[in-house]
Amino acid sequence: MRLRASFLALAASLGLGLATPAAAQDTLRIRLNADIRSTDPGVNRDANTDGLVWHVLEGLVALRGNATVAPMLAERVDVSADGLTYTFPLRRDVRFHNGQPLTSADVAFAMERYRKRETNWRCRGDLDGSVTRITAVETPDPHTVVMRLERPSALFLTTLARTDCGQTGIFHRDSLNADGSWRAPVGTGPFRLGEWRRGQFIELERFAEYAALPGEPDGLAGNKTPHVERVRFTIIPDDAAARAALLAGNIDILPDARTRDLRDLRARPGMTVHSSPSFDLQIILMQTTDPLLSDVRMRRAIALALDVPELVRALTEGGSRPSRAPIPVGSGFHTPLMSEVPARDLAAARRLAQEAGYRGQPIRIVTTRRYEAFYEIAVLAQDMLREAGINLELEVLEWATQLQRYTRGEYQMMAFGFSARLDPSLSFEMFTGPKATQPRKAWDNPRVQAMLEDSMRETDRARRIALFEGMFRQLMEDVPVIALYSSTNNAVTPAHVQGFRSWAVDAPRAWGVRLARR
Amino acid sequence: MRRAPGVSGWRGADVLAYVLKRLLVALPTLVLVAASVFFLMRLIPGDPATVILGDAATPEAVADLRVAYGLDRPVLVQFALWVERALAGDLGRSITSGEAVGPLILARFQVTAAIVFASVGIAVLLAVPLGMLAAWKQNSWGDVAAVAAATFLLSIPSFWLGLIFLLVFGLWLGWVPVVGYVTFAEDVWGALHYIALPVVTLALIETGVLIRMARASTVEVLRLDYIAHARAKGVPEWRVLARHAFPNAFAPTLTLIGLIMGSLLGGIAVIETVFTLPGLGRLLVEAIFARDYPVIQGVMLFIAVIYVVVNLIVDLLYPVFDPRVTAG
Repeated sequence: MRLRASFLALAASLGLGLATPAAAQDTLRIRLNADIRSTDPGVNRDANTDGLVWHVLEGLVALRGNATVAPMLAERVDVSADGLTYTFPLRRDVRFHNGQPLTSADVAFAMERYRKRETNWRCRGDLDGSVTRITAVETPDPHTVVMRLERPSALFLTTLARTDCGQTGIFHRDSLNADGSWRAPVGTGPFRLGEWRRGQFIELERFAEYAALPGEPDGLAGNKTPHVERVRFTIIPDDAAARAALLAGNIDILPDARTRDLRDLRARPGMTVHSSPSFDLQIILMQTTDPLLSDVRMRRAIALALDVPELVRALTEGGSRPSRAPIPVGSGFHTPLMSEVPARDLAAARRLAQEAGYRGQPIRIVTTRRYEAFYEIAVLAQDMLREAGINLELEVLEWATQLQRYTRGEYQMMAFGFSARLDPSLSFEMFTGPKATQPRKAWDNPRVQAMLEDSMRETDRARRIALFEGMFRQLMEDVPVIALYSSTNNAVTPAHVQGFRSWAVDAPRAWGVRLARR
Repeated sequence: MRRAPGVSGWRGADVLAYVLKRLLVALPTLVLVAASVFFLMRLIPGDPATVILGDAATPEAVADLRVAYGLDRPVLVQFALWVERALAGDLGRSITSGEAVGPLILARFQVTAAIVFASVGIAVLLAVPLGMLAAWKQNSWGDVAAVAAATFLLSIPSFWLGLIFLLVFGLWLGWVPVVGYVTFAEDVWGALHYIALPVVTLALIETGVLIRMARASTVEVLRLDYIAHARAKGVPEWRVLARHAFPNAFAPTLTLIGLIMGSLLGGIAVIETVFTLPGLGRLLVEAIFARDYPVIQGVMLFIAVIYVVVNLIVDLLYPVFDPRVTAG
């Protein structure tokens, strides 16, 4: 008995020293479900990488919480009447992390690197033809940058601000090695890169000379004042371990709590769940060149056999709104027309399937267990379609294999998800295009493609909305995809974390957050 | 099994020659492993460019990335280039992170090795005496309890046990941190705390395997004539067990320990994931998901080398416990 007591005392004394680890009072610890790929903005990237980079680098413009674009390093953006010249007067109070002031030469230097083919910047193609083409980046004085475009585009500023483009972050030339390769970001953001211990954590340090904008934080724009000395992104791949880490006080923000854990976490004293609708899209793709699914009646039958509201309720426990439109419900371009979800009609589904010559042959739906929602969508769809006599078979693949099948268009049906698209044109573009050159596109309708291109050029909001509504109506006619819902981002914080807000993109922001640990 | 030269009657030079011969014989195995992994990975659907670009992968962007990573070249050319560099000690760079693969593997191996050596060491210290005692008292309550405990430990999935330990010792009792890792070089005390739960988890699982093996081989040895002879001579029971039964009974367990070590040193991905440890197993699994070919190839080759070395060490240790094993 004495031995046992001694053991417990020893263990307790050992544990107490380390259960409150090196995490100082002023370190904000955030869970990251996987390591970042690099710190090179928009180059070797994924969502985690983007979410880290936006703490360190800033672009000329940035996305607000509602996915519109606001000036960031630019004081404002002046657009010429013909839409071909964009002038960015730079803010004068901005300094890089190495103490150097921001100048137009720095912007030109960064833009030159982004536009080089060998950089492999994700958005080079967008600004070299597909969205528009930058024909020149000029620096008439140290505080002004002028960009000239080949043709006007409603997406130009959005593209510059896109998170997957690394916000076209402006970096100092010290970020590069002598041979021009990327070394580490020297940016203007509220935090500078501290230590990156691969597979373990990435630590950021507060940039004391950060020039914050006045007002409130707003998406990636607005006031981004850092209130903590350090931010540590701790890599915790396992969801259960991440939840345990939050409850044990080893992390301060769980940015991606599982839906199934929310009820329990809400019930815990001091825990706050921050929910906000995402701009991603969960969807079922159908291959319109497939012998069976090339018949629009068969695709309509499948859509009518699905009880979309019930499916979404089951998957998200009521957290997300069902929507058959690809434009997220949180977008300012999501109109009442797009909120209409056709009712399930099993009789019509059976009739249409029969007219299309369907005789019960199996239709394969590709899915993966990597993203639980994809798998659950496929399972629920299989069950619902069975009631209409449609035989859906699941083909469960590993994620990289599914991605390749998606890229090549090698599927009959696929449960899939698109990452956040912040402009409504891009919400349609992600699955619209010519299959001959882009096999991954599900919807190959030349008339719609023309409308899509118009929407990318058009800058008038009302005319854009009209175009999007027209495309949505056609989408409901052609049914190449069945949009289901945009997921909800659920972050959880304990009581000592103040000022944290979740938002449309599923990666957290550390600025504006305070710690009130005692 | 081919036996190592015996300790008695062999000089150091003989042992060295034997080791070199074994390593040379292992070379074709390593080449085979390298080639199989290289070509098999390329047969699996999915490629790194597609994974990196995700749902927005345009054909042009995929083609550009494939050029950047040299994946546009014929597979045989890629293999020849990789072999050429590997022979020069360069295993390439990770496609995902850009890190040099060699140092990356060594860094991750340190984490795995620390846990594996500690847990297997503990498991051996617990299991071998327990297994032998259970065999000595065969069919007693102690024996039944030991077999039942071993079977129970064998049946528990390591991730489940790990999560339970996290819950109890990390969350409820707060004795150890739930996530994190520091190296021994940075902070010995801290490192001990971070690896305590994974070591205990793994040790318990392996204890189950080893108890059964130690018990079975001891039961067999205790039935042999020379044990009866020793007992007839009046040798005390503890001496029968320790001096006469143990060396012979331990030899099969040693083989199993070698296999376990080889297997675990190649990565304990589940344990590393549950306890958030940056080990070799997690590196391999993540590399496979990302189709990070250089990392996969490097890690698999490294694992093959581990197997060769561990088996060699086991073979060299064999004669220490079993004097019958001598000549090669």
